[in-house]
Amino acid sequence: MTVKILAACGAGVNSSHQIKDAIEKEFKKRGYNVQADAVMVKDVNEDMMKNYDIFTPIAKTDLGFTPTIPVINAGPILYRMPAMAKPVYDKIEGVIKKENLK
Amino acid sequence: MAEALESDLFDSKLVFVEDGDNQDTIFKQVSDRLLAAGAVKSDFYQHLSEREKSYPTGIDMSVVNPAYPNVAIPHTEGEFVNVRKVVPIRLEKPIEFANMIAPDQKLQVSFLFMILNNDPEGQANVLAQIMDFLTTSSAETLKSLFQAEDPATIYKILVAGFKK
Repeated sequence: MTVKILAACGAGVNSSHQIKDAIEKEFKKRGYNVQADAVMVKDVNEDMMKNYDIFTPIAKTDLGFTPTIPVINAGPILYRMPAMAKPVYDKIEGVIKKENLK
Repeated sequence: MAEALESDLFDSKLVFVEDGDNQDTIFKQVSDRLLAAGAVKSDFYQHLSEREKSYPTGIDMSVVNPAYPNVAIPHTEGEFVNVRKVVPIRLEKPIEFANMIAPDQKLQVSFLFMILNNDPEGQANVLAQIMDFLTTSSAETLKSLFQAEDPATIYKILVAGFKK
């Protein structure tokens, strides 16, 4: 099964793409089949979120609705420092295991 | 007509040292220069400013090294720019930005890497390259960059640093 992750940032061009790339690379290493998409926060809506398993914005974000999927703030990944990124990856892996998404 | 822009991530003509009291002043000054160079579209400044207010881009460098000044990576959607460039801007005096990953936190920022990206899917992630430079360069290199007095020195340090 493919785990689908939605990454979001303000412009949808830099931060969210970096998070998408980093998550896909890390979870391939961890043995998971993960596909991430990068979008602008303003484009995120309840219908879009139904297509994903986990939401990873770069910061705590007010979407105007309460997400029904797990939300994990992925901002620390942007530093590209293993010590900062690992706790985020571990949280994502924790959700994958807990929700039996693999 | 604007001169042709160089093809690499940095352009020696698009490196600035700016003096201003706040974000808007700096953004306007730089946007005007970028527009004159043909690097952005006429509505770039408006969208850059609005985006920074809604989705701030300050980066707390104290987690990398407490001795480093904070930086910011202001940018906006690709439709308002014409090129794929990083525009380095050293600020004569620090100005306030909100933290990108914790927007309630305010940071005093001394150096900007303004990202102009009309091709987010294209090549290696621009932001990733900036962060790699900031987190793996020697303290000596970054100190030279953050204290550089003129655009030519900034350009030289960055071109050398991004070739690693």
